[in-house]
Amino acid sequence: MSGGIVSDRTAASEAAGGDGVGLLQQLRQRKAGLVGLSGIAVLLIVAVAAPWLAPHDPASQDLGNVLLPPVWAGGELTYPFGTDAIGRDVLSRLIYGARSSVLISVCAMLLGGTLGVLTGLASGFYGRLVDTVLMRLGDIQLALPFILIAIVILGMMRDRSPIHLILVLGIPAWIVYARVVRSRVLSEREQAYVSAARSLGASNLRQMFRYVLPPASKVVPPIALIDLSHLVIMESTLSFLGFGLTSPSISWGQILADGRQNMIASPWLPVLPGLAIMLTVLTINLAVEGLRDDGTPRRRRRRSDRKAADADRAAAPARLPGREVSIDGGAGGDRDGDGDPRASADDVQGRDGDGDGDLGVRRNGGGGGQAQPLLAVEDLEVEFDTPTGVVEAVRGVSFTVERGRILGIVGESGSGKSVTSFAIMGLLGEQGHVTGGSITFDGTDLTRAPEAVMRGIRGPRIGMMFQNPVGSLNPVLTVGYQIVETLRVNRGMDRATARQVAEEAFGTVGFPDPRHVMRQYPFRLSGGQNQRVMIAMTMALGPDLLLADEPTTALDVTTQAEVIDQLLQVREEHGTGIVLISHDIGLIGEVADEVVVMYAGQVCERGPTETVLNDPGHPYTRALLGAVPQPGAPEAQLAAIPGELPSAQQPLVGCPFADRCDHVMEVCSRRDPALLPLAEDHDVACYLHHEPAAPEQVATR
Amino acid sequence: MAWFLVRRTAQMFFVILCVVTLVFILLRAASGDPARLMNAADASDEVIEATRARLGLDEPVYVQYLYYLRNLLRGDMGQSFYGAYDVRDVVLAALPNTVALAVVTMLVSTVIALVLGIASALKRGSALDRAVQVYVAAAQATPNFWLAVLLVLVFAVQLGWLPAVDFTGPASFVLPVTTMAVALTPILIRTVRQSFIETLGEDYVRAARARGIPRRKVLLVHVLKVASLPLITLLGLQSAMVLAGSYVIEVIFNWPGIGKLAVDSLVSRNFPMVEGAVLVAAVAFVVINFVVDMTYSVLDPRIRLGAGT
Repeated sequence: MSGGIVSDRTAASEAAGGDGVGLLQQLRQRKAGLVGLSGIAVLLIVAVAAPWLAPHDPASQDLGNVLLPPVWAGGELTYPFGTDAIGRDVLSRLIYGARSSVLISVCAMLLGGTLGVLTGLASGFYGRLVDTVLMRLGDIQLALPFILIAIVILGMMRDRSPIHLILVLGIPAWIVYARVVRSRVLSEREQAYVSAARSLGASNLRQMFRYVLPPASKVVPPIALIDLSHLVIMESTLSFLGFGLTSPSISWGQILADGRQNMIASPWLPVLPGLAIMLTVLTINLAVEGLRDDGTPRRRRRRSDRKAADADRAAAPARLPGREVSIDGGAGGDRDGDGDPRASADDVQGRDGDGDGDLGVRRNGGGGGQAQPLLAVEDLEVEFDTPTGVVEAVRGVSFTVERGRILGIVGESGSGKSVTSFAIMGLLGEQGHVTGGSITFDGTDLTRAPEAVMRGIRGPRIGMMFQNPVGSLNPVLTVGYQIVETLRVNRGMDRATARQVAEEAFGTVGFPDPRHVMRQYPFRLSGGQNQRVMIAMTMALGPDLLLADEPTTALDVTTQAEVIDQLLQVREEHGTGIVLISHDIGLIGEVADEVVVMYAGQVCERGPTETVLNDPGHPYTRALLGAVPQPGAPEAQLAAIPGELPSAQQPLVGCPFADRCDHVMEVCSRRDPALLPLAEDHDVACYLHHEPAAPEQVATR
Repeated sequence: MAWFLVRRTAQMFFVILCVVTLVFILLRAASGDPARLMNAADASDEVIEATRARLGLDEPVYVQYLYYLRNLLRGDMGQSFYGAYDVRDVVLAALPNTVALAVVTMLVSTVIALVLGIASALKRGSALDRAVQVYVAAAQATPNFWLAVLLVLVFAVQLGWLPAVDFTGPASFVLPVTTMAVALTPILIRTVRQSFIETLGEDYVRAARARGIPRRKVLLVHVLKVASLPLITLLGLQSAMVLAGSYVIEVIFNWPGIGKLAVDSLVSRNFPMVEGAVLVAAVAFVVINFVVDMTYSVLDPRIRLGAGT
């Protein structure tokens, strides 16, 4: 059972950590905790005050009133819960039963807790031999079937007093407390204040109790309560089996065992004491919920993190509580109703060669007569449902990507770059929705495509690379398995062919020994190697479009250059269109043909890379360029842009950059500037360059 | 891998030795002089001395311990106080019944936990999810032995659908397994749900989908393989609870397993039998944990290959 406690606890704390909890649930939990704690108080009072509360002597027999039913089943008020086989009052027996069951469990908990905290402190504080001996002892104890040994020890005794039970139940519980306190002490004792006290010459004992005990004991109460609920059940089990207190003492388990003899005639006899035990345990568990909620620092930090980083979260839905793989891909953008003449899912079953002059005519961002771009994102809007409200992550973004061209999307984290790419892939998750605009890829509006169509597009037609190469490969599958799986699923190859193709693909990204790499797990490869695996895997499918989301951010400088070279090579060889997403405008300047600058889910500037970088029109672009470290310049001159992104949860009024802008004007805080041409192909959304427009023009942004 | 196996096996044998030693000390300390116990209360001192000499109890304790170890190695667990039974034979006859009960319980609980845990992880906040949460809370607070009594009351006594006690056939499994599954499933469900939710949020899940792997395959291969690791560890840890729980359940359902044997022998003060039963139960527990550990490491290359802990 000790094993039970440990694992129960871990899982419980895991369960507590992950769920997104809104304010409402938080309140509810606090209330549950309150109810639980007062329930425990009531139980303790009942246990202590049993002689005054019980209407009858629990041992007095009324042989004229044997097996009376309880009052709701037609019994008498004298015996509200009925009587047992020898006419004893069940209610009084239950009240007295609470006495032994609850008091014994509480004492055992206190004993185990004290022992555990002391050993945990000693183990954590002295370390070395003390630690090793204590922890190994704990391991061995956990390897023993506790209840059997408890039964053996108690079974040997002819008379069992409460002290015996408390010892047998309490002592083995130490290890649970000791482990937790120990790990807490280990982390606390290196804290500055303890070292300071040590250097001032405080004695070991003094250090332990003065500085280490208080923080370490914060973790104890929830564990103690969980322990208590286990102890209540253990105590009842033992007395049910006949190894509890010897009569005349009464406990719930014993009443239950007695009642079982007559359960056919009087089913309530075994039912009532069981209910008492169950309610007790439920009450304790409620209290645990409450304690966990305001006692666990990890939880609290998560919540404030969340508040502080709303915008960040909007951009990186990986951190959203409960992001999930969406069932229906990019569906959901039906705000236009059904009258839209553009691509319906039906005319895009499957690929049609290189996509020129294909099914029907489609309008795209730029203008009428030109060749259709590979990807046209138009007025895209994306929202996320979060426990604290709706987050507008992308607010009307438009851009196009041509075949064989590289489009750079630049902006700080939280600007909606990554969300845009997830929207293109139809992988926003359950909380994310496209609420407006269209994403036209090779003639298909991806926001309306059914999942079956999206499946044909993800991988073979649009590939994607992620910021964290190690994290984007499954840690428990070899990279070989993952690339072979990808090839087999998307290209219908048999295993042998897929292996061969995979080895070739690994060869082309520069692995000298592809066969060896195939057998490796991602954690055995470096970040750069993993990213090359990702490139190989993505490009082996020969996609027309590659979304590379910060592909080099997690890598060191040399490796960055290698990966970028790989991308350029891919473009050369396959004519792949690439969307390169980065916060590093320097990198974008080196490789991109066109650049889109995003801020707060909007496009603030776009145009040919050279134009935008040499002649930036938007103050934000200028600030970004100022933030690029110049070779030779000292670190300190790196200009961080002061201020923060506006909250993605509030509707925007005016230019989102107004608060941080050096050139802010009166009009900026009132009205959102439209994205208007500054020169040919160069658009800027800023009142520095054009007069505030009429309202209907503003809306076209 | 081979080295890892050797190390873990050595560890296991060390723990078993500790267990054996502990059981020896515990029973000697708790039961007193076996020679006196074996004979009638009014037996003469000569008779007791003779018994003592026969059992080797006149030797110093460490010699007795060595004898005990030697006997165990030979597979000799002594004789029952009552009747001419070898303890080993009785215990080994009871063991399969306990194991069968535990294994069926674990299998049933694992299947239930996977189904309910995954379903509630995928449909978080739905009515199903909430119903599962209520079940978890209620099942956790239910005293096992009470549930056993209630199930017998309803299904065996009042409805007469299922056998209440004794092992008579497959139907006999239903009530004890249900009882034990109710105790085991809550924590399993919570763990599956939680680890599934966490794994679903990992980058590689989205990345797999971005490579065109269908959702079903991502869930069943990529997510399940990672998310099942905590479940397997937990099953190992919980095997203790299942075994411990089965002792109580066996008594209630009159199931001829180790637990019932231990309790019956204890009541009749048949100490060699108690010793044998506890020993076998403890060793079974250690071995199960070992197997779970090995499975875990085969599934998780990060452990097998000794990557960062």
